[in-house]
Amino acid sequence: MIKLQDVCKSYFLGEEEVKAVCDVSLEIKEKEYISILGSSGSGKSTLMYLVGLLEHPSKGKILLDGKDVSRFSDEKLSAIRNSYVGFVFQSFNLINKFTVMENILLPTRYAKKAIKFNPEKRADKLLKRLGIYNRKDFFPNKISGGEQQRVAIARALMMGPKIILADEPTGNLDTKTGDEILEVLEDLNKEMGVTVVLVTHEKLVADRTKRKIYIKDGKIVDKY
Amino acid sequence: MKIQNGYAHLAKSAFADFKRNKVRTILTSLGIMIGVLSVVMLIALGLGLKNYIQEQFESLGANLVMIMPGSGFGGEGGSFGPGFVGGVQFDEKDLRSLQGIAGVEYVVPMFFKTTMIESGNEKESGYVEGTNAESFEVLNLEVMEGEIFTKSDVTRKAKVAVMGYVIAEKLFGDPADGVGRTIRISNQRFKVIGVNKKMGDPEMDNAAIVPYKTTFGGINPDKSFFTIYLGVALEEDIDFVKEKTEEVLLKRYEEGEFSVTEQAEILSTINQIFSIINSVLVAIGSISLLVGGIGIMNIMYASVTERTKEIGIRRAVGATEQDILNQFLTESVILSVFGGATGLVLASLIVLGIRIFFPASINLLSVFIALVISTAIGVFFGVFPAKRAAKLPPIEAIRYE
Repeated sequence: MIKLQDVCKSYFLGEEEVKAVCDVSLEIKEKEYISILGSSGSGKSTLMYLVGLLEHPSKGKILLDGKDVSRFSDEKLSAIRNSYVGFVFQSFNLINKFTVMENILLPTRYAKKAIKFNPEKRADKLLKRLGIYNRKDFFPNKISGGEQQRVAIARALMMGPKIILADEPTGNLDTKTGDEILEVLEDLNKEMGVTVVLVTHEKLVADRTKRKIYIKDGKIVDKY
Repeated sequence: MKIQNGYAHLAKSAFADFKRNKVRTILTSLGIMIGVLSVVMLIALGLGLKNYIQEQFESLGANLVMIMPGSGFGGEGGSFGPGFVGGVQFDEKDLRSLQGIAGVEYVVPMFFKTTMIESGNEKESGYVEGTNAESFEVLNLEVMEGEIFTKSDVTRKAKVAVMGYVIAEKLFGDPADGVGRTIRISNQRFKVIGVNKKMGDPEMDNAAIVPYKTTFGGINPDKSFFTIYLGVALEEDIDFVKEKTEEVLLKRYEEGEFSVTEQAEILSTINQIFSIINSVLVAIGSISLLVGGIGIMNIMYASVTERTKEIGIRRAVGATEQDILNQFLTESVILSVFGGATGLVLASLIVLGIRIFFPASINLLSVFIALVISTAIGVFFGVFPAKRAAKLPPIEAIRYE
């Protein structure tokens, strides 16, 4: 489904070039449940953002269903992110001035094609499925961390994406709540057939996935 | 449908943000509000002044030719000359020669001077105007009580006066009571034979109008006039009368020492002067609009920094650079237009109040400036911060704390 070929991403810190990700080739298949495992600063988040098309690679190609999208315009990439990719972050990244419902509906505002479903109905369904329907009209800072992460997952699912990219989704949660969130992601993969990529530094978390990719100093390694 | 949905969301998002920063929003709009208020008010007052002066001139009868000292209004090409300074003073000899011009129906001399007017124990400052009976027609004066003086009053130097409404009120309490009373000007006694209706002109309302010949001596020792009005019977004779008048006067005076103008010329000169004054006023008022615009830009930059993370989140869920640009531009335009509209409403209320005593007016130009210019300011000063927001790298934005 998504294929990275010799992808590099470097940043400039002042004059100095920092290679966050270098010469990475990997393929993520449809309906896969995989993890990208690496310590902090290893480049795992950058790799995830590259897969999520939030960044152009400095070098190499990103193929989406066989098509090279690495040089697509901002407009095209935004449209793909909107309909194809769902992000879940460590710090939830909800917009606090909007209610839970408005946060979940946010991706529909940026749909470039006419939406064929009823956004409110779908949001209701997702809220029910994730067990937070009673939090619908709350503001994010008035609900618990676990609930906020469920809202973020609902937002990621709103446009019916093929792939969910979760960056340390349990990082800000206690063990029990974290486990619940991981279960939610596993269910999505199993029941809805959504590809889930879990980015983490915890081996225990990564162990729950079917395939593990180790990353160290911006490169994929065999062992961690 | 989708587009509508998009705009509705933009506006809703903008208002959610304004609500969170109420004080900041109001202060930012205040800049534009004051700018629009000052521009609209300056235009309104400029127009009011123009209307006022125009009314004064239009209240003079039609088909009027004015003779003034100096190059006066509207020299050649309609330019505004050096004015009345250094001109001549006209006298009775001029009156006689002007009377001889064909087409001239009547000649009205005007002597005008500030003075103290006394009656009994009351003493008020006002004006004394020496003229003849026709001046009542030329100046559209009407008596509310009593009568005006006649030609024979002028010839026999009758000590009679027709009072302006305001000065009569000051001296006699009820203006109508003035008829039959006696006033003193420069130690001369005059019998009040009439009181004029209120004109709304502070000079005419505060004047004692007396036969010009009566002023000769104590009040007008030079026996001179400041202005002479010629009433022309037929409109088509005006050009001929002007020509003849110049001919007659050039026998006694040098060119440039006097001016011969018709009412229409004066009005066009006034219009010209006031359009210049108005432009200058608008230019001055625009400075505050500019400052207001910079205020908006400043706040929008702060807002972009403050909402970096939000921008990152929106980008992650599929917002394009253009979407982000539109979002911030919408906010600055709403701020600016809100300020502009408030300024316009406030200015309208103030003008409504002023109209009680001054013919200020808000015209279409003011409304245009208020709404179009404030929108333009919102776009112009909002576009730089909005561009910065749009160009933020999504990853850096989303990681921003």
